[in-house]
Amino acid sequence: MSSSSVSELKERHIAATETVNSLRQRLNHKRLQLLDTDIAGYAKSQGKSPVAFGPTDLLCCRILQGHTGKVYSLDWTPEKNRIVSASQDGRLIVWNALTSQKTHAIKLPCAWVMTCAFSPGGQSVACGGLDSACSIFNLTSPTDKDGNIPVSRMLSGHKGYVSSCQFIPDENNYLITSSGDQTCVLWDINTGLRTSVFGVEFQSGHTADVLSVSISNSNSRMFVSGSCDATARLWDTRVASRAARTFHGHEGDVNSVKFFPDGNRFGTGSDDGTCRLYDIRTGHQLQVYSPPHQQQGGTVPDAPMVTSIAFSISGRLLFAGYSNGDCLVWDTLLAKVILNLGSVHNSHEARVSCLGLSADGSALCTGSWDTNLKIWAFGGHRKVI
Amino acid sequence: MDSNTDLPYSFAVEYSGPPISHRSLPRALPIDISKIPVAAVVPVSRNSSKLLSSMPVVQPIVVSKLLGCNDTIVSPNSVISFNADKNCIGNGTGNGTGAETETTVSPGFEEQSSGEFSDMVNNRDGVGLGGRGESSGTLGFSDSFDKSREFSGNSLAFRACKESLDLNQQDWVSNGSGLSLSFEYPSSRVSSLKTGDCKDEPSFDRKNRLIGFGDIESETESFVDDIDIDVNINININININQGQPEAARVKKEPGVKTKKGVCYRCNKGNRFTEKEVCIVCNAKYCVNCVLRAMGSMPEGRKCVACIGYSIDESKRGNLGKCSRMLKRLLNNLEVRQVMKAEKLCAVNQLPPEYVCVNRKPLCHDELAILQSCPNPPKKLKPGNYWYDKVSGLWGKEGEKPSKIISPHLNVGAPIMPNASNGNTGVFINGREITKVELRMLQLSGVQCAGNPHFWVNDDGSYQEEGQKNTRGYIWGKAGTKLVCAVLSLPVPSKQVYPTGEQFSNTLGQSVPDYFDQIAPRKLLLVGCSGSGTSTIYKQAKILYKEIPFTDEERESIKFIIQSNFYSYLGILLEGCERFEDEALNNTGNQVSENDETVYSIPPRLKTFSDWLLKTMVAGNLEDIFTAATREYAPVVEELWNHPAMQATYKRRNELETLPSVSSYFLEQAAKILSTDYTPSDVDILYAEHVTSSNGLSTVDFSFPLSLDENNDKSEQHNSPRFQLIRVQARGFGENCKWLDMFEDVRVVIFCISLSDFDQYAVDANGNLVNKMLLNKKFFTSIVTHPTYEQMEFLLILNKFDVFEDQLERVPLTCCDWFSDFRPVVSRNSQNKNISSNNINHSPSMGQMASHYVAVKFKKLYASLTDRKLYVSVVKGLDPNSVDQTLKYAKEILEWDEEKPNFNFNEYTIYSSDSGSDS
Repeated sequence: MSSSSVSELKERHIAATETVNSLRQRLNHKRLQLLDTDIAGYAKSQGKSPVAFGPTDLLCCRILQGHTGKVYSLDWTPEKNRIVSASQDGRLIVWNALTSQKTHAIKLPCAWVMTCAFSPGGQSVACGGLDSACSIFNLTSPTDKDGNIPVSRMLSGHKGYVSSCQFIPDENNYLITSSGDQTCVLWDINTGLRTSVFGVEFQSGHTADVLSVSISNSNSRMFVSGSCDATARLWDTRVASRAARTFHGHEGDVNSVKFFPDGNRFGTGSDDGTCRLYDIRTGHQLQVYSPPHQQQGGTVPDAPMVTSIAFSISGRLLFAGYSNGDCLVWDTLLAKVILNLGSVHNSHEARVSCLGLSADGSALCTGSWDTNLKIWAFGGHRKVI
Repeated sequence: MDSNTDLPYSFAVEYSGPPISHRSLPRALPIDISKIPVAAVVPVSRNSSKLLSSMPVVQPIVVSKLLGCNDTIVSPNSVISFNADKNCIGNGTGNGTGAETETTVSPGFEEQSSGEFSDMVNNRDGVGLGGRGESSGTLGFSDSFDKSREFSGNSLAFRACKESLDLNQQDWVSNGSGLSLSFEYPSSRVSSLKTGDCKDEPSFDRKNRLIGFGDIESETESFVDDIDIDVNINININININQGQPEAARVKKEPGVKTKKGVCYRCNKGNRFTEKEVCIVCNAKYCVNCVLRAMGSMPEGRKCVACIGYSIDESKRGNLGKCSRMLKRLLNNLEVRQVMKAEKLCAVNQLPPEYVCVNRKPLCHDELAILQSCPNPPKKLKPGNYWYDKVSGLWGKEGEKPSKIISPHLNVGAPIMPNASNGNTGVFINGREITKVELRMLQLSGVQCAGNPHFWVNDDGSYQEEGQKNTRGYIWGKAGTKLVCAVLSLPVPSKQVYPTGEQFSNTLGQSVPDYFDQIAPRKLLLVGCSGSGTSTIYKQAKILYKEIPFTDEERESIKFIIQSNFYSYLGILLEGCERFEDEALNNTGNQVSENDETVYSIPPRLKTFSDWLLKTMVAGNLEDIFTAATREYAPVVEELWNHPAMQATYKRRNELETLPSVSSYFLEQAAKILSTDYTPSDVDILYAEHVTSSNGLSTVDFSFPLSLDENNDKSEQHNSPRFQLIRVQARGFGENCKWLDMFEDVRVVIFCISLSDFDQYAVDANGNLVNKMLLNKKFFTSIVTHPTYEQMEFLLILNKFDVFEDQLERVPLTCCDWFSDFRPVVSRNSQNKNISSNNINHSPSMGQMASHYVAVKFKKLYASLTDRKLYVSVVKGLDPNSVDQTLKYAKEILEWDEEKPNFNFNEYTIYSSDSGSDS
């Protein structure tokens, strides 16, 4: 035992890392071989035609104004059409999406907020940011004398910024956060303690900042996380020690992950300008969605980054926000852009930083660095798909 | 959902998406031309209760945020079509026809604003999602209709409508009984109402493009529950296609609930004689009990919470910043001052720039800022059309004589028109035909005006004839002229003559409004890789500039941190101790087998403890036990530390990479630190690790002590500029700093690098061992080239100069690849290392040369990346003076930065007066 000196350990570590890397390469290679087609190719061979979308089929019908800083995050309530949004002006605003009313404006102790989320019951909102903590506000709690809602629970324990948070569906007391400290954490809000930490151990977790989490709707024990290490990982909340699966493919930070409505797939949006669809059962990358101008030549160095994604209720549409203010609507089946909300009238003037679909799928809300949120609803002959 | 059966979209079927549980949400449905809402007769029986007093109202709403739910929101720029004529005549059932005349709505309104209201009523181009109340009670209604007719001629139609509405509603209320206003969808939807379901239907019109989804249920979320008017609202958002009229898109607000005249809008109590505070946006009035609740902390002055962010009612502009007695009673002096200041200065309350036209051109935001921040601004600027003579600074209302001489050379508006002041004298000043009064003044002040000359008048009053070089005189030079001007009520130049250039505020080319500077502190962003000493500098700033740098509670928690740090140092030493023991045994073990005692061996009693300590450290819960540990084990720890084995290990601490250099500071005063009544001193805190980094971000607001500003004649306007030092912990060597773009409003980025990193190695993201200086360089490059920081000033701090100097004695700088061409010129007489680096009689020390070399390296790198100049400061983080100087340096950089645009601006306004406004 004593013979294994530090340098020898180091060498063995390097050798092991190399082995892992070469195995990973072989794995990817094998995957590529097995991947004979993608969704778009198959759909085309089946004679599917893309969704036809007129310019009036998805229209901006509300502009939620009130933030004075860049909007960073938004979330819809599962029921009732309420939205919470977080902005760099240091406020969370809870909106009634139907009436555009603000029902709450919550001043945050730390203005550098990156994420916010509604609890499933709609009574509380959570937010997190550079203060490395996730703060829970109970919307029903009385305001203090300045009209501010006090923090009802502070979940601290992360060693880096909190980049994303989401409540476990139908569980008002559990929440998953992702953080710049390379971990995700499942919190028990009642106690304010960490129930499990995902990825804290050596090679099993993300190797860079985790930017996003998405919990499966059909199986709330599963969630995916996207990270600066260009991977997405699938986790089982019962097994904190290692990721159930790692999904490679992206060439840049994975900024956004979102489960496909059926829970067997998930989508990712990345700094490399592409969105991808992965299957959690096979681990395969099913489809790449890269904007038309870069489809042929692979990734363009300064292609607009995908900041946020969301699926329509059926999964047929993929909404993706881009750093240049575009918001593309993809036909997931044929990998065709069917609408660019950035080029229609009333589009955002700056980066679309977040977007989300209402629970019934009838409306899309986008938040932008131009400080506004916009609600887009299906209009014309288009029904919700 | 039935849509899932739609064949082309069978994707959902394939993947069998989750069922949709919430059907109560509004859905956008296709609209059929034939379904464009029209009103029809409503059976009296069904809605009899509502028939009592409700009025038909059309109320499309622009992008507006609304008050609490059962506050009725009446869209400000809607035209109220009360189906007026018919309704007034008719009875309840007469609605059928009445509703068909339903009207309309904003975009068209402005264009027609000169028309009669009756025109509007007949105009069926626009379709509003009309609320059509069924009403038999139309008392007082025709009255309000007349009002709106009067106002409709007004170009500011918003207010007109609002006032007329005010009136109406008040009338209704006074009408009395069974108040139930109901704005409902017209007949096509009335049937659906029966289901009690939520209905939302977009209405789509070719001309006006109204799309909306609204809800009829009003009571779903009620946060204001004390209002007894039951109002159903339907809300539309009106996408204003008509871009030609920016005013139309401007958000306006209306008060939520209209109540009886004189009562408080919130509690409905009081009468017209009770003192009330008025919302400067929506005119809502609140009594003394409700003001603070309704207006909150008043971040933008006296506005209802829901009105925050909206521009104010222009008629109230004059009252901005004028405090009422009531507010003075409610708030203390300081708060009143702050609220009033915010009210006057905050961005949304500023005059909307497009309301001011200078030389026929609506101003943009920057232009208005320039105009208002010049040393001699037009007083009490109101919306309107003005002319401005850029050369002389003459300023007046369009079509009138000059009213004031403001600062010249401001880059606002279009070039002046010859007929700007509607003169007919044939005499021109700077291209403007002057008025008779001005001509009289010129004659009286002795200017030859025969032959309709064209004059060229400068701001100092010197005038020339066009095309000639020589100055003919000074118009306002004579004492008598001023008197003449006073008699003719013409302006004279104000006394203060500024050298042009200093006067322009920094608002140009900078989106931060001027007021922001005064209220918000200037932000300095302090970043650096971990271990670069940002935390030390942060703590220094706190100690230097705060009266109470750390509260007692903070000290208490810092004490625990220090103590737990101490344990971890001890753990590292123990690990090292084991390693050294192994090594020693390996070296000697072969020969001396029976005596496996080395100098590093720890006696069994201490061994138990040390094993336990190591175990807890590995398990990662050192933090959880250290409080108990301090009490229980303090004597053991001390003994352990003083044991020769540990001391021997400590002597070889250079070989323990993980042991931070500051550890010796704490280890050497073990006894003191471990005692229970230990209170960390400022210096202890300065040395302590992890005090600030547990939290990713820390900020400290400070201002430099006033005495420092004495030699600085620039900053008188703000009595002492406030700064905010934001320290962000860059975890690892993140190329992936997602948070970088959150700090676009910082003024200076202070990038901190530890000089001692040049011979250190760390593992980068790919798992490779890389020189830390190169990692620093990479991180620096990524921040400097980050789009957010393109125009930012950078100050590079080369930290830990003291450590660096020591280090250079052992390791040459060239061991870092990047510094391989370091060729220090070493003069023979400075070979003696004991000569202090401060001794200026000697050539610079190795440390100075090396740090200078590193600085140049970074400057070159920076210049190659940005073409700008990098400011560098060499710092000893633990030395307060050196940090103080550096932060003052940062302040100076900031001030230079502020002056720079002034010079640029000055240079080019004089020669070309048009180009500046584009920037």
